Amino acid sequence: MVSLLRRFFGVDKQSGQVARKRMQFVLMHDRIDITPDLLEAVRKDILEVLSKYMEIDGKSLKVDLEQGKDFMALISNVQVKRVYRHAS
Amino acid sequence: MAGKTIVVTSGKGGVGKTTTVANLGTTLAKKKYSVVMLDADIGLRNLDVVMGLENRIVYNLVDIIEGKCRKAQAMIRDRKLSNLFIIPAAQTREKNAVNPEQMRQLCAELAEEFDFVLIDCPAGIEQGFKNAVAGASTAVVVTTPEVSAIRDADRVIGLLEASELKNIYLVINRLNVKMVKKGDMMSTEDIISLLSVPLLGVVPESEEVVISTNRGIPLVHERGSKAGSAFRRIASRLNGESIPIDEDGADGFFGRMKRLIWN
Ligand SMILES: Nc1ncnc2c1ncn2[C@@H]1O[C@H](COP(=O)(O)OP(=O)(O)O)[C@@H](O)[C@H]1O
Ligand SMILES: [Mg+2]
Repeated sequence: MVSLLRRFFGVDKQSGQVARKRMQFVLMHDRIDITPDLLEAVRKDILEVLSKYMEIDGKSLKVDLEQGKDFMALISNVQVKRVYRHAS
Repeated sequence: MAGKTIVVTSGKGGVGKTTTVANLGTTLAKKKYSVVMLDADIGLRNLDVVMGLENRIVYNLVDIIEGKCRKAQAMIRDRKLSNLFIIPAAQTREKNAVNPEQMRQLCAELAEEFDFVLIDCPAGIEQGFKNAVAGASTAVVVTTPEVSAIRDADRVIGLLEASELKNIYLVINRLNVKMVKKGDMMSTEDIISLLSVPLLGVVPESEEVVISTNRGIPLVHERGSKAGSAFRRIASRLNGESIPIDEDGADGFFGRMKRLIWN
């Protein structure tokens, strides 16, 4: 348990690298001005749209921003349980 | 030809802006350039004590702008270098006693007279910051290897890029090489990759800085000082001289990142 906590807080990693990783994340968000709350709102909306067409595992839906070399990517991963038949 | 106008800024307070201005100004003056250092930190002036000139103040920056004195009356000549001057900030005024247009005008006039106009910027990103950067064509952003300083530096760089100010350079101050080696401090490489601004140089954490500030004599006057040499090299690079960046690490610590920075 203690070791789990230590890992969670990054105590076992070198703090310089922990700082670098945290700053990568923080600066990316600062620059595009997307807060974690906003990202959560985007996640909910994506979930809503997708649910119209397929049954998905809401808990598995992840939305992340990734910094590429010359671009920023929004990456979303979701587990699809079942695609609905056309109802029309 | 008009001189260079350079603002030293950071966002966060206490990272070494005033120390940097004093040491860069002194080095450039020792190279025989005419230099004026402008303390734009209205209400919290410090450049005068760091330069050891606090007893000579009569007029200040706000007095010039309000027409209470001529520019020359507010300039205080350095004790050692006759081609080095400071214009102190007003101590008992508000930051809004000055506006960006007035600073632009003053800096342009000073640049006619001097080879270098160095502006010591207050902390923050409000009025005082806007005043300080208004008249500058180059910015030196000072940061320390700490998360809060780096985050603020990134914010300031964003604001500078959004203004007309396009020549932006980075100075990393108070690097503790021992801690970096232990892995307990972000390295120069880490900071460059986070901020992606060309690096002017790295100043080590050093007691000598505190001692020279106590005395009111900039460290670059001291021959054998590591931090002093770092400031001298930074001034030379700012002056366009090409000095390899790895000389900042006495033990070749920076060799690997040469390609990342400075040309
Ligand atoms: N490289 C350094 N090593 C040790 N102390 C430093 C160094 N640079 C600055 N300091 C100290 O840090 C404090 C803040 O520096 P200062 O130049 O006044 O910062 P700022 O103008 O950004 O508020 C001062 O006490 C100064 O002596
Ligand atoms: Mg200061």
